[in-house]
Amino acid sequence: MTTSTNDGDAVLARIAEMLLDILDDYGVDDVEITRDTLFHDDLEIESIDLVTLAGSLRAEYGDAINFAEFIARYDLDEIIALRVGQLVDYVTERLDAGTAA
Amino acid sequence: MTHLTINGRSTHVQVLPPEGGAEGSTPQTVVLVHGMLTDSLASYYFTIAPVFAKAGVEVVMFDHRGHGKTDRTESGYRLEEVVDDLRLLLDALDRRGPVHLVGNSYGGTIAYAFALEHPDRVASVATIESEPPTGAWAAKMSVNLAKARRDLHKPGANAWIVARYGAHTARLAKAALRLLDTTRIADEIPMSRTVADDAIAALPMPVLGIFGSKSDLAQQAPVIAGVITRGRSIVVPGREHSVLVEEPALCERVLITWVTTGELPAPDATASFREVRAG
Repeated sequence: MTTSTNDGDAVLARIAEMLLDILDDYGVDDVEITRDTLFHDDLEIESIDLVTLAGSLRAEYGDAINFAEFIARYDLDEIIALRVGQLVDYVTERLDAGTAA
Repeated sequence: MTHLTINGRSTHVQVLPPEGGAEGSTPQTVVLVHGMLTDSLASYYFTIAPVFAKAGVEVVMFDHRGHGKTDRTESGYRLEEVVDDLRLLLDALDRRGPVHLVGNSYGGTIAYAFALEHPDRVASVATIESEPPTGAWAAKMSVNLAKARRDLHKPGANAWIVARYGAHTARLAKAALRLLDTTRIADEIPMSRTVADDAIAALPMPVLGIFGSKSDLAQQAPVIAGVITRGRSIVVPGREHSVLVEEPALCERVLITWVTTGELPAPDATASFREVRAG
């Protein structure tokens, strides 16, 4: 893993692919996903879909990316208001920490 | 591991390995069983499951038939069929020794049914707002499921739920209505095999019942403590059926202590409950 392939844009692109895979199950395939996209209101994904996303993130980036730990920072109202950019920042921070260590 | 074929259905399973733990020692396993219609393993995955793992307990979670990411078929929703899924799931994971069961609402009824059928495979049971699968339970399910379906079909039902409980609950209610409309779950759960009112007296393992003081199920609290030899009950003041959702910190503390020590935590500022003795 190098910073060039795990910068914010690359992570956003990869997370967008994971989310589009999830949305594909619901027959949704024409969504543009940006840092401002809301998980709940824009994508309408269910909590069980976040379990799938957690698994995809771990498979892609390893054990350093713990989605349950990320979610644990927020209460329910904040989780509902989560934007894709917040997850991108968490992933890049964790990857940077891993590279620095 | 995410999907196993159980009784012919692709079943969504999540296992969280225990953290730490002594070298060579066999960790304890807890199975977290979710409730019906609006529920899935996600209720545990982001809440109590990682806390159990941190405490050195292996966690097994699964989406029941028709729920979450497990296959939905038109028929096959009687309680004993879900109990059989759980047995086969533990076999597939090679968990042959006794496991701890934690169930919320209908998940607790599944836990009681499993413990009655396979007492040698259950180390302890903890239920939140649940009752055993008696005839009275089945009759109540018949009424409640029919009512839920009627109410959710009423014009303006969704707007009312949005206004009262928020958009997230309204979305869950929509998904619940899809399950009720596209399967025979509402007819089949009440047709489940039931047990005698005093059948739970035969449970040899420690059993804990957690209830909201304002729930109509709170009357079960002295029964659990009185009928089951190693049964205990606690009541959470001011709460109704949604104790797990509304008191996550308390439930976490009680359940972790219960599974790891077999005891209840001492009540303090973060754990306001009272123990109910036999009635």
